[in-house]
This record gives sequence, C-alpha cells and structure tokens, in this order.
Amino acid sequence: MKVTAPHFGNVYLAAKALFDGLGIEYIIPPMNNKIALELGSKNSPEEMCLPYKIMMGNFFLALENGADTAILPGSCGPCRFGKYAELQMNSFNRLGVDLEFVVIDSPGELGLTELFTRINKISSQSERSRYMQLKSLLKAKKVMNLIDEIEAKAHFLSGYEKNRGEAKEILSSCKIQSLDTDSPDEMIKIMEYHRNKLQHMEIDEDKKPIKIAIIGEIYTIIEPFSNFNLEEKLMDFGVSFSRKLTPSWWIKDLLLKPIRLNSLKINRSANEYLSIGVGGHGRECIGEAVLASKEGYDGAIQVFPLGCMPEIVSKAILPTISTEKDFPIMSLVVDEMSGEAGFITRVEAFIDLLERRRSNVLPRT
Amino acid sequence: MIIGIPKGLLYYDYYPFFESFFQGLGANTVTSEDTNKTILDEGIKHCVDEACLPVKVFHGHVASLRGKSDLILIPRIMQISQGEYICPKFCGLPEMVKNSIPDLPTTIDQPIYAASRKELFNWAKDSGGLMGASQKMIRSSFDEALEIQSRHNPGIKDENFKYTIALGGHPYNIYDKFINMNIIEKLNQMDVGILTEERVGEEIKNEEVKFLYKKPFWTFARNSFGFLSYVSKEKNVDGIIYISSFACGIDSVIIELVKERIGNMPFMVLKVDEHTGEAGLDTRIEAFIDMIWRR
Repeated sequence: MKVTAPHFGNVYLAAKALFDGLGIEYIIPPMNNKIALELGSKNSPEEMCLPYKIMMGNFFLALENGADTAILPGSCGPCRFGKYAELQMNSFNRLGVDLEFVVIDSPGELGLTELFTRINKISSQSERSRYMQLKSLLKAKKVMNLIDEIEAKAHFLSGYEKNRGEAKEILSSCKIQSLDTDSPDEMIKIMEYHRNKLQHMEIDEDKKPIKIAIIGEIYTIIEPFSNFNLEEKLMDFGVSFSRKLTPSWWIKDLLLKPIRLNSLKINRSANEYLSIGVGGHGRECIGEAVLASKEGYDGAIQVFPLGCMPEIVSKAILPTISTEKDFPIMSLVVDEMSGEAGFITRVEAFIDLLERRRSNVLPRT
Repeated sequence: MIIGIPKGLLYYDYYPFFESFFQGLGANTVTSEDTNKTILDEGIKHCVDEACLPVKVFHGHVASLRGKSDLILIPRIMQISQGEYICPKFCGLPEMVKNSIPDLPTTIDQPIYAASRKELFNWAKDSGGLMGASQKMIRSSFDEALEIQSRHNPGIKDENFKYTIALGGHPYNIYDKFINMNIIEKLNQMDVGILTEERVGEEIKNEEVKFLYKKPFWTFARNSFGFLSYVSKEKNVDGIIYISSFACGIDSVIIELVKERIGNMPFMVLKVDEHTGEAGLDTRIEAFIDMIWRR
C-alpha cells in the first residue's frame, strides 16, 4: 500500500514526518503546479471550486508516482468540501483508475467504530508498536505547529529585516531541508534551528512597514500556488503580514468545535456583523477583518475561489466593515483562469494605496 | 403595521405560513411583484457580483419593498430537516441584504430551524415579539399558520400530455417564471407534461439517497437526487431537465451525482444567470424535445 494525500499548505511536511515515523510507504504529490491544475480541471466538473480541481491534479500526479490509496479528510457541510471525496471517487471509478479512498470524517457522521476501522486500514500497515505510532503522531503534530510558527514569524519579520530577503530565505531553506530528511526527529531539529535563526535575525525596530492581514478561504490562502505566491511576493515587497488560518489552527478549531470553545476571539469579533456560522470559514473571515482593524493593521486582503459559497456571504459584509472602521479591504477571486499579472497588479496597487493613506497624500474622509 | 414579504428564494414553498402568521398577529402583508426586469436590475445593482441569480433576484425584491412596508421579512432558513443544511448563502442572507441595500426598514431575520415544531416556535416568538404581539396571540396564529401551510401542496404532475419531463432544480428556479423564462408553459405548449420533486414521496427519496457513499447534508441535494434517481429507475418520464443557476455550489455537486446515477435517461442542464438569452434557451429546449421525439 502506497499512501498519498492532496496538498494542503504545509501539511505535507507533517504528513511526511508521520508516515516516516510509522514506517508506511507514502507519496507526496509533486508540489502544486500547472500540470496538476490542468489535469485536475480536465477531470473535474466545470463549476466545482478551485481546491477540488487542484486536489484532483494532486491525485493524478501521485498515481503516476505509484500511489494506490488516498487519504482525504471529510466534513459535513454546508460547504462543498464535504462532498469532494464522493465526487472524486466517482471520477476515478469512471476513468477505471484503481485508487482507494480512505475518508476520515467526523465521528458524529460515521460512528466511532467505522472511524477506527478506516484509520486502522492505514495504521495496520505500520509494523511499529502502538506506543511508537502514538509517538510519531505527536511528532507530526509538533512539526505542524513548528512550521506554522516559523512561517508566521517570517511573515511578520519580513517587514522589519535589515538585510532584504533574509526572512524569506530562512523560510524557504527550512522547507527544503525539512523535506530532505527521512527522520522526524531530524526534521524537528532542522525546524528548531531555523526558528532560532529567525529569532536572531538582524531587525530594524524603527521601521514602520505596511501591515496586512490575509483573510478568506483557507485553502486558497495557505496554498501558495492557488494565489500566485501572494505571500512570497508580499515578503519581497517588505510588507509585514499575518494570516490566522493555518493547518494547526484548523485542527485545533475542529477539535474544540463540539464544546464550542473554538476560536473564541475571532468569533466574538465577528458577532457585530455576522452572528451565525455560514459554513466554511465565512464567519472567521469577518472576525479576522474586525480584529485586524483593531490590532493596527493597515489593510486586509481576502482571497477565495470562484463560487465559494461562505466567502460570498462575507464578501457582501466586508464593505460595511471597511466603511465603518475606516479600514481598506480588497477581495481577490481565484480560479483556474486567473491571470498572474492582473492579480499581482491589484496587490501592488493595494499596497501603494495603503502607503499613501499613511502619509496622508490622499485626504481621509 | 405593514410587513413586506419578498417574492424570492423559498417564498414559493412557504408563503402560506408566513402570510397567515403575520396576518394572524393583526399585521397587513405586502408581497413584492412577480420578478421582472426592474427587480432583477435593482438586485444586480445592490448584490455582490459573485452571488447566484436567485440571490440577486431576492435582493431586488427586498429593494422594491422599501418605502412600502414597516418591517421586511428576510427568512434566515438554517434548517428544514434534522441534520441537514440549506445553503451557506441562506444562513447569511440577512447580512448580505442588510449590508448591500441602503435605507432598509427593520428586518425580521431571526434564524429559522424548521426541523421541529418546537424550534420553529422560537422563531415565531422572536418575530412576534418584535411586533409587540402577546404570547397567546403568537401561539394561536402560529398554530393556524402551520395548519394552513400543511394544506399547501406545491409541485406539478401533469397528465394527458404526449411526453413527460422531470423538471429538477431548486424550487425558486422552477417556480419563478422570470428566472426560467416561463419554461413550464413553453414545455406544455410542446405537448410535454411536467413532474416535479414534490410529487414523489419523502420516503422514496430517502430510500434512493442510500445509494450515495455519503448521506447528503443539503436538503436540496437529498430532494433533487432522490427524485431524479427515482424517476430514472422507474422510467416514468421521458427525460430530465435540470434548471441550475450559474455558480450554484450545491448544483455543481448534485448534477455530477445525478449524471453518475441515471444511466441513459436523456438529461439536460439549463444554466441561468442574468445574461441568459431567451432565444438560446428556447433552442435548447426544442432540440431536447426533438431528441426525445426521435428516440
């Protein structure tokens, strides 16, 4: 059995650590690229959202590399993500491709026994003891938290660095080196080393960089390919930015949801404009925008795939927040037809606007 | 007091309940006109571009009720059956409307959980309270409204036509003559009768849905899939036409699931949006009926 899973931001690093620890053969699909998108779009319903298409592409490329089992997390609506697995299974069946799906859904939907049977399908491949299995799970979790922390730190520091490009450099070398090693412990060491390096980076505390919050649909903001490397570009521009939605946040949010203790701060901030969850992360998007305006950010950029139902609701509300809080927010919609030049021009123009607002070249009303 | 009821989205399914509930509380109700070009234009003007046609039309209806009513009903329908959702846009509909249309009067937008009578009564209590009605009045007009709603039986099952077509899609796409350019009448003129999902029993639909790998979590998906899967199995229709609004997230899933299931039953998807031209739509319907005739 060769396991694979679609890309979801930096999860591939944690997945690598997990499967290395378990001793299970796995395939990381090639990093998201044009080929994946083209293969995916060709084999997807036209009106499905971008993440679905890229994930399809991931599966095709993983198949070429010998994968035979795909792991996919599920959800139970109201966002379309919960139906991905079924449609993708149908597609591969129709194509006559042999790819087994293991869908990890919430225990409420499947029942605990079914959930354990499904997890067991994977974990039974591992020859390590239960104790070792649990340990590698914890290590994978640590990797996830570490890489999210390093990334957030690099994003924040990129506005303050003395040597232009240093934060970006450290972040990318961290990812490359982590992918190179086959031992989870080694990976954790590499990450800790880079975290340390970031902490001791030369910074210019007098700088007052533009600060931006990145909000919107989780897949399109954590997956660099789907937003034309927006974050890398912002780092090049010397912008200091933050993004609250990360895979480690997502896991924590899912676990705390049943007892309603998830993302208290974000949800409380959203209450003023949207008091009810609308599926996906629509409510979080509103909450983050309000929070960012309070925390002294200069502006926010919302990114979401075309036709994303929850984000359309938040897009309707954002202009009101923008007016009432005097806080610029730009919405960017991506799909397989988006052009990079147009996208980046808008980002540049937005940053220009924020800079000028600050120096009060344009009168504020 | 005048309460405005927009004639959009699930109005066609639930207007008897809302109208009689508010009238029972001593209010007058005013319903917006049938959808027309002015309403659509108003809707497009106010609504976010990315929303689907029915949501834009709904915005237009709300906008047209300004100045004609003291309160406007914006039903925030969260749930119709246990464990299912409607569509994310319905959950956030009041926010979308309130943040897009200026000069709105107060809106009645308490969340509606209609899975059980008790939960639904919470909505009645809140909305009635907003109008200053007493508990007793709310209770009695709520009971009466439910009674009237239960007698409301939408759905079409034509007989005595040469062919019969199953017409699938969300209720507001099927019953709003402007959105679908009067497709029902057009089909009837071609000697084609219509069958809609309401005329297939709930149990039958629930049975059909069991074929799916995962139970659908949208009420729309369960209804449409169950209905279309059933008619294609029983072969009691000659073909299926599915009306879908452009960029509808739920339809993008339903249509794929249906295609997978119906075998060689003729199936046509009509996409509608604010740019749809009537001639193109007519041609496609004619071609489809021709095809059925030649089979």
